[in-house]
Amino acid sequence: MKNAPGFACGRVSSGSRRDRLAPRARPPRCDCRCFIIPTDVLERMAKDKKLTPEERKPFVDTMKVEKEWRKARVALSKLSHLVRTVLPAAPAAAAPAAPAVTVFDCAHGTTLPGSPVPNPGTAPDAVAKRAFTETQAVADFYQTCFGRNSVDDAGMTLMSSIHYSINYNNAFWNGTQMTYGDGDGNIFIDFTKGNDVIAHELTHGVTQYSARLSYTNQAGGLNESVSDVFGSMFRQWQADQDVTGADWLIGSDIMGPGATARGFTCLRDLSNPAAKHCLAPQPTKFSQYRDGLDPHFSSGIPNFAFYKAAMAIGGKSWEKAGKIWYQALTGFPPSPNMRMSAFAKRTRSLAASMFPTEPAVRTAVDKAWTAVGL
Amino acid sequence: MSLLHVERVGGLAGFGGPGAHVRSRGQLDPDDLSAEERHAVEVLFKTRGRAKGAQTPDAFHYRISRTTAAGTETVEVPESAVPTALVRCVKDELV
Ligand SMILES: [Zn+2]
Repeated sequence: MKNAPGFACGRVSSGSRRDRLAPRARPPRCDCRCFIIPTDVLERMAKDKKLTPEERKPFVDTMKVEKEWRKARVALSKLSHLVRTVLPAAPAAAAPAAPAVTVFDCAHGTTLPGSPVPNPGTAPDAVAKRAFTETQAVADFYQTCFGRNSVDDAGMTLMSSIHYSINYNNAFWNGTQMTYGDGDGNIFIDFTKGNDVIAHELTHGVTQYSARLSYTNQAGGLNESVSDVFGSMFRQWQADQDVTGADWLIGSDIMGPGATARGFTCLRDLSNPAAKHCLAPQPTKFSQYRDGLDPHFSSGIPNFAFYKAAMAIGGKSWEKAGKIWYQALTGFPPSPNMRMSAFAKRTRSLAASMFPTEPAVRTAVDKAWTAVGL
Repeated sequence: MSLLHVERVGGLAGFGGPGAHVRSRGQLDPDDLSAEERHAVEVLFKTRGRAKGAQTPDAFHYRISRTTAAGTETVEVPESAVPTALVRCVKDELV
């Protein structure tokens, strides 16, 4: 097989200053197109007798690397929490340093991460500059609104690769970094143009390091939903909009001329998930849910609940509804197979405990979930 | 050998999802593939696309179908496991 399967190409940052990579300080190359395969799947492939020893070998090798990498990630996270628990005064004296932000250029290839872009904050390539600036802004959003230090809450370097593949109509988080295509110029344009898209991808990182929601069935829908919710919230925070001034759209800034000519103004709309102007309309009621759906489809249900809760509460979405959703995502042990009703229950309970003097908040959250059938 | 029918699904935009107005499809003749690519395709069918469990948020998946004497079989695999020729054969379109 051409690509090493299941290789989680993890990279540990060697520093914390932003934009610090010198032009020649290229990290070790990863010659695979990186992705993550659950350990049980790797194990099955490694032992599959239908495969030749040569075909099994990459899976066996990957299992070894993946095992060590998972241990390293857990250790780093534990260390970070220990430092904050044991030394509360020292770190509190100074705000945590903002996470380093790095940008790499795939130059239309598919090898990640590509070549480092030197000083991306002042790069002549507008795409590099935008990926850098908006990633910094998302890190700032999470720090300012929720006290979170990068996606892992331990200052992890935020790494982006741009100009991925040719006419590539996608952006994704591969477990380690963000990757952005340039779009085909017809259906989509450059994916870094959507500030909500950048926040959406980074939020997949936050989910990975907190609730660890899986990517199938109800947990998958919740995983996609929190990325849309925090993507939209970031967009509102940047524009300092209250809930009535927000557009609640996802992907409106990456729609290409072909799509807009057909009347499509966004990928999804949290305020009206089933709307005709959505390129991918979604369900609005839990009764429409069934297992096996694409999480980008089923996410419409919790998306609509968040919109309804935020609108009923009023003001800035990140101040109350956002804080409840953030705590529901990050304040509990991981729950990979969480059901939507469990997430709803959690936010109902948090609304009461986090805003005990404001019963209207609890009522707003309760009614929002009830309206979508949860 | 029969044509390979390829559909790219998922991604941030939810390609090929229920009601989605964006799809990405293509087909190609296995005889046009290199020996290495043909072997990679065989491995995908042989393993019944078990790499489907990959959980890379917003990554594309590919549904690959072929018809043999045994009938039509379909596997769904992550983009990272798909030979380049198959990745290149699909065309994104509004529907
Ligand atoms: Zn996503």
